[in-house]
Amino acid sequence: METLMVDSVQNSLRLFMHRNAIFFCERLCAEFPTELNLQLLATCYLQNGKAYCAYQILKGTSMPHSRYLFAMSCFQMNLLQEAEATLCPANEPNAEVPDGAAGHYLLGLIYRYIGRRGVAIEHLMQALAIDPLLWAAYDELCVLGAVEDANEYFSDMAAQHIQKQYLSESNSLNSSNGSEFNNGSSNMSVTFVDSIPRQSKQLLANNAREISSIPPSSAIAKVPASNSGTSNFSQFITPPAATQLSGVAPPPLCRNVHVSFNVANNDIATKSNNIAVQTPRRKLLDEGKLRKVSGRLFSDSVPRRSTRLSAEAIAVASSNATQITSNGNSHTSAKFLGGFSSSSSSSSKVNAASSRSLTFKKGHSWISESFDEGRRSEDFDDSRMENMATTSSYTSMSGDVRYLEQGKTIGDLAQDSRLISGAQELLCLLRTLGEGYWLSCSYRCQEALEVYLKLSEKQFNTGWVLSQVGRLHFELVDYYEADHFFSLARRVSPFILEGMDMYSTALYHMKEEMKLSYLAQELISVDRLSPQAWCALGNCYSMQKDYETALKIFQRAVQLDSRFVYAHTLCGHEYIALEDFENGIKCYQSALQIDQRHYNSWYGLGVVYLRQEKFEFAEHHLRKAYNINPQSSVLMCYLGMAQHALQRNEDALEMLERAIAADKQNPLPVYQKANILSLDRFDEALNVLEQLKESAPHESCVYALMGKIYKRLEVHEKAMFYFGLALDLKPPAADVATIKAAMEKLYLPDEMDDIL
Amino acid sequence: MSRVWTRDRRVVTAGGRQAAMATELDGEEETAAAAGKLTGSPQLSVEDDLREMAKNAAWSVSSYKPGNNVLSLRDDNLDTYWQSDGAQPHLVNIQFQKKVKLQLVILYVDFKLDESYTPSKISIRAGDGFHNLKEIKTVELMKPVGWVHISLSGNDPRETFINTFMLQVAILSNHLNGRDTHIRQIKIYGPRPNPVPLQPFHFTSQEFISYSTIR
Repeated sequence: METLMVDSVQNSLRLFMHRNAIFFCERLCAEFPTELNLQLLATCYLQNGKAYCAYQILKGTSMPHSRYLFAMSCFQMNLLQEAEATLCPANEPNAEVPDGAAGHYLLGLIYRYIGRRGVAIEHLMQALAIDPLLWAAYDELCVLGAVEDANEYFSDMAAQHIQKQYLSESNSLNSSNGSEFNNGSSNMSVTFVDSIPRQSKQLLANNAREISSIPPSSAIAKVPASNSGTSNFSQFITPPAATQLSGVAPPPLCRNVHVSFNVANNDIATKSNNIAVQTPRRKLLDEGKLRKVSGRLFSDSVPRRSTRLSAEAIAVASSNATQITSNGNSHTSAKFLGGFSSSSSSSSKVNAASSRSLTFKKGHSWISESFDEGRRSEDFDDSRMENMATTSSYTSMSGDVRYLEQGKTIGDLAQDSRLISGAQELLCLLRTLGEGYWLSCSYRCQEALEVYLKLSEKQFNTGWVLSQVGRLHFELVDYYEADHFFSLARRVSPFILEGMDMYSTALYHMKEEMKLSYLAQELISVDRLSPQAWCALGNCYSMQKDYETALKIFQRAVQLDSRFVYAHTLCGHEYIALEDFENGIKCYQSALQIDQRHYNSWYGLGVVYLRQEKFEFAEHHLRKAYNINPQSSVLMCYLGMAQHALQRNEDALEMLERAIAADKQNPLPVYQKANILSLDRFDEALNVLEQLKESAPHESCVYALMGKIYKRLEVHEKAMFYFGLALDLKPPAADVATIKAAMEKLYLPDEMDDIL
Repeated sequence: MSRVWTRDRRVVTAGGRQAAMATELDGEEETAAAAGKLTGSPQLSVEDDLREMAKNAAWSVSSYKPGNNVLSLRDDNLDTYWQSDGAQPHLVNIQFQKKVKLQLVILYVDFKLDESYTPSKISIRAGDGFHNLKEIKTVELMKPVGWVHISLSGNDPRETFINTFMLQVAILSNHLNGRDTHIRQIKIYGPRPNPVPLQPFHFTSQEFISYSTIR
């Protein structure tokens, strides 16, 4: 009965029938209140968006996957401290993180929002090490500014990992086993136990493979020590592995011996082993070993496994790969176990690449990154025939085992090569994307543009990439091109929301009222509850100078998603427009708390202090913004203005020169330069202004400044002429007053005149 | 650019009883217009480069009838009004937190509804506080209906704005010699600050403006 219920629940989850799933799951938990069932129920709740329910039922559970789910619900409820405590219990400093890569990714997010950037980066890197296809972790790393080179994350090693994972799954258990064994983790030996008999066949076939082969018998001999062995690697092995191992009783000694014999006989070349691979496998094997037969049955289900969740496969592969390179460590295993990332697209690619999509279909309940180890045994028991891809899909090592049983050898070779090439292709794509992305996060826009252009046309013409390209043009202050690319993105994927807030700001700068209001309307109709849509609408109102309404709208965006940085920054801008500096500063600071590298907020703070005439503060904040985004000519211009206000005219002029060089189209630094020169170096100033006049003939302030200089030089006719020109261009009332006053006083000596 | 009120009243007050009265009062209105008396306009027309300045100011009145207090002057509701309850002149005091540049005072009054409560002579004073207010403008109204725009600028372009801590609107007398007065809304306008700090002049062209800020 329990099996039936579990199956029904998972089926419902897979088909998004949440109410059914929840109902059944509650019955299931009432009937058989095991922790695994609780996990299933929590998963149902989480999938339905009810984090608070999951929180309640998982309080106090200790299995790794439960802890992961609990931490996930805490995170969604913004109880960051609890989430952290769950995943990293204070009294067990060396415990592994549940669910491997996913767990590390979640921890990275938690630490990021708590504010501990260093630790966050560590965990995200760990997550990526375990699973190189975990793009979300890479994304976070870029945002945090911790990425220097995309290649180290999506290197060929990673390809080998992926490949290994797949291969290990697909009958290359031998190799993977072998590799794992090298480190002599008893775990491996354990895993070998089951696979060994089958390995023999495959070993021969696998000899050609580069994947690490069966570990030396010595490793096997360590079987009894498996548990201790595990502990050695505990720091590397991701929790699932560890817990798995601990959870599973070591295989019977006799088996191990048997295995060792086999291994010895087989004498397969060994490489560094993916102990990790072993460990997950071990778990599977533990179950599987009792069911060699069932293993065979599984082989039939293998083709069905081709469903996605290949993320796991990839994770495994990557872990394998890492193991080969590193010394076995649990690193890989960790990856293996942990590696279920959500990079489904990538995994799909790999899957596609390898005919034997080893992706095991995850049980619906575990579609999310979680990795339900505990479940595995049950799964095996109950759902062998199904594609319950226990995430442990890598535990899919068991799958491997099964494969071994099938003794597919020749076919495997072909598949392996496809796998390898597929993994490499995938990693190549990720490398390009990754490089482009981190370059754009470091604001090296031209380079990033070039990188994105390297993508294939299919990939380039997707919403994400086009939106990124639009963003790059936006940062280069090329609003026209940005508009073009963003609208392309919208045409390609009409429901895209990411980056649309930036698009609305581009339109705001271009003063395109119609386009902006149209965009805002569309976005709201796509998703009324997305912060981007409200940001766009707020920009509309702000453009019409209705600052109060714009502020209300931006505050609504903040309410919808308090972790959306840009909404906070825009609130800050509106407060400043309303001259409410205190609240403006608060908004900018909350934006910076979420994302320290959001240079717009640093800029906003700098402008506030400029207005309040606290020039030192202003220069400090503008410099921070400039350090984050060193290519922005606008920032350089403002920095120059702040330095001028601090009377550091030499520095100011130098900075303005840099700004001019950075962007020839930006007239502002030229104007500022003339402004500074107009204090004493009149002729130079006039030269500069003459040039500026050519490039921006309709700008009243240029003529006004020229008039002012001529007035100083007492060339009255020219002064009058230029003042008149300035007035003709219809400046606002305040300027008219100033200019007219200057004209009146033209023939009077230049007294203490603030403005002119 | 400093004068913003509209003057043509005849068109505005056309209609029914008004028309009859109009013919009768035509002569009066013409003289009124000629004499520089203000009669309100139904439209609140303010230039784009001006903005309402008194949201964060402290508003007080010399006297009020319970239920018709100073809040009615700022509630954006033309049906509610402030009614004074004491001796003339009735005063509306607006105190700002810092010295501000002001250009325009706009009142909404309605002779048809308020008749003898409608103000007829208004004096505007400015200064640092109650102790040194100086009159800067006096206007007379003639049966106004709608928004009455009172400009604070002088003739000199240097005097487009007044720079002050405090403004006082004094109602010196009402129509038909009424004692108390009704005012339905008051708005104060001044220039917008330059969005780009530390600049001697505003930017007018699109090229300059699009490069002028980061958002």
